Amino acid sequence: MNTAVKLDSSMDISNYSEKVLLNNPFENFKLENYKYAQLHKNISSDVSLEHYEIDLSSISSIKNLELSDALDIDLHSYLNKWNYKNTDSYFRVNSISERSSIKIDLDLFEEEILHLDLSLFKENIQINKVNELQKTIIINSSNFSDHIPRSIILNLSKNANLNVIHYSISNSKSFLYFEINQQNNSNVKFITFQSDNIHTRNEFFSSLEENCSLDLYGLNIHNHGVNDNYSFIQHMKPSSQSREVFKSIVNNGAVTNFQGKIYVDPVAQKTDGYQMSRSLILDNDSKANNKPELEIYADDVKCSHGSTVSKLNQDQVYYFKSRGINEDQALKILQKAFLVETLEAIENSQIKEYSYNLLEMRL
Amino acid sequence: MLKIDNLHVSIEGKQIIKGLNLTINKGEVHALMGPNGSGKSTLSYVLSGKEGYEIDKGAIEYNGKNLLDLDVDERANSGLFLAFQYPMEIPGVQTSFFLKTAINSKRKFLGLPEVDALEFAKLIRSQAEDLGISSEMLKRDLNVNYSGGEKKKQEILQMSILKPDMAILDETDSGLDIDALRIVSEGVNKLRSEQNSFLVITHYQRLLNYIKPDYVHIIADGRIVKSGDFTLALELEEKGYEDISKIAS
Repeated sequence: MNTAVKLDSSMDISNYSEKVLLNNPFENFKLENYKYAQLHKNISSDVSLEHYEIDLSSISSIKNLELSDALDIDLHSYLNKWNYKNTDSYFRVNSISERSSIKIDLDLFEEEILHLDLSLFKENIQINKVNELQKTIIINSSNFSDHIPRSIILNLSKNANLNVIHYSISNSKSFLYFEINQQNNSNVKFITFQSDNIHTRNEFFSSLEENCSLDLYGLNIHNHGVNDNYSFIQHMKPSSQSREVFKSIVNNGAVTNFQGKIYVDPVAQKTDGYQMSRSLILDNDSKANNKPELEIYADDVKCSHGSTVSKLNQDQVYYFKSRGINEDQALKILQKAFLVETLEAIENSQIKEYSYNLLEMRL
Repeated sequence: MLKIDNLHVSIEGKQIIKGLNLTINKGEVHALMGPNGSGKSTLSYVLSGKEGYEIDKGAIEYNGKNLLDLDVDERANSGLFLAFQYPMEIPGVQTSFFLKTAINSKRKFLGLPEVDALEFAKLIRSQAEDLGISSEMLKRDLNVNYSGGEKKKQEILQMSILKPDMAILDETDSGLDIDALRIVSEGVNKLRSEQNSFLVITHYQRLLNYIKPDYVHIIADGRIVKSGDFTLALELEEKGYEDISKIAS
C-alpha cells in the first residue's frame, strides 16, 4: 500500500504532483481518507438522472457570476504553501495539476447574493471575501459527469463574513475539493444540499485562525451509488468555534459515507469544536459509514463528536398512525424532521424556502 | 360500540390475553384494573392495532365493523383513540404541526376540507389553555423534553381535539401529581357525553374518584375475573389484587 506523499519545501512542485498522481487515488482505495469513497470503481447505475435546473428567480438581489467576472490565476505555488498537518488531499493536487484556475473577488459586487453555476466554468475557483459586509454565495454543482476533481477555495480576510449554500444535485460523477481559509474574527456558514447523485465525493478542508466561527451543515438524501463527504477542520489559533452537522438519508441500495476530523493545534487553546454525523437507512440494501475523528494537542478545549446510524423508529411511525396520520405521510414527516436542522441553518429566508421546496419534492 | 369476544393474544408465542370478553356501549365509562403483567397494556395496543401482537382467537367488533380488519390509522380516523402510557418523543416535529396534521387526516377521512388556519389556532388555544398547556409549549418539538405530566396533558389535548367516539386511557394517571391528575381528569370529563365511551386503565382507585366509571372490571392473567360498579374499585383498594383474584377463581 502506498502512503500519503508529504510535501516538503525542498521538493519541486511538478515533482510533487507527479508523485501524488503516481499514488492515484482512483487506483488506490486503501488510503485511510479515501477508502470508503470507492473512487477506483466506475460506479454505474441503471438510474437515468433527471436534469436539474436551478431556478433562483424568486430570490431578490442576486447576481449570476460569469467568466468575465473572474481573473486567471496560477495556483501551482499554492500547493507549496499548504500547511495542513498530517493529512492530505489528492483532490487538491489533482485538480490544480489538471485544471487552470480563476479568482473571483466577492466584494466587487453590489448584490448581496451571488450565484456561481459551476457548469459554466471548467476551472478551479478561488473566491475572496475581504470586507465585513455579509454576502451569500450559492454554489451550484449539478448535472456533472466529470472524473477530474475541482477545487473551490474560499479565502476570508480578517472580520469577513460569508454564507455558502452548495447544491449538488443530479450528478453522475462529481468530485469537489472545498477549502475554507479563515483569518481572525471571520465567520462562515456553509450548507451543502446533496441529492439524486450517483457517485460523488466532497472534501471540506477548513483552517481557522483566532476567534473565528465555522458552521458546516450537510444534507444528503435520495442518492444512488456511493456518496462521500470528508471533512478536515483545523483550529490553528485560540478561541475559535466550529460546528459541523451532517445528516444522510440513504435508500435505493446507495452507500453514504461521512468521515470528519477536528484537529486542534497545541496553541489553539479555548477551541470549541462540535461534530455530529447521523444517517438514517430506509431499506436493507443501503449502507452508511460514519467515522468521526478528533486530534487534539491543546489542553484547554471543548470538543465533542457524535455519530449515529439507524433505521426509522417504528414506534414513532406507530404513534403517528395512532393519531390517524397514514404511514406514507408519517414517513415523510419523520424524514423531514430528521433533516430539518440542516436547512434551519440557512439565514436567507428566500433561499431557505427554495431549499425546503427542493427537499419536499424528494420525500 | 365495542365488543370484545373471547380474545386470545400472544406475543412471540407467549400467551398474554386468554379469553377476554368485554362490551362497552355508547356513553359508558369502563375502568379496567389489574396487577402488573395482567394484560392491560397489551389489550390497549391490540385495540389500537400495534404490530407484533398475534390474535390467536376471538373477535373485536367496533361500531358494527371488524376492528381487526382496520389498519392503525383507519381505526384512529374511525374514532378510536389511545392515550399512551409512554407517549413517543418526536424530535424535529412541532407540536402544533403534529396536531394540525392529525386533525386534517381525520377530516380528509371524513371527506371534509382541511381545517381553516385561524379556526385551528383558536381551537387549539382554548383547549390547551384548559389543560394548562402554554402556547410556547405548542411550538416545541412534540413531547421532547416534556415532563411526565406534560406528556400526559399532551395526550389529553390530542384527544380533546380529535374528539374520539371510543377513548382508551392507558395508565394516564401514572406519574401525575395531584394537580395534574385533576386537570387531566377534567379534560376527560369535559369530553364525556352520551355519544362517546371510555376505557380507563389504571392501577389506582384515585383516578376513578375524578373520572367516575359506570363499570369496573378486574383483569388478572389475561382475563376479566370480576366486574362490578364503582364499589369494586373501593373494595380493591382495601383488599388488594391478590385477595380479589383469589375470590374470583
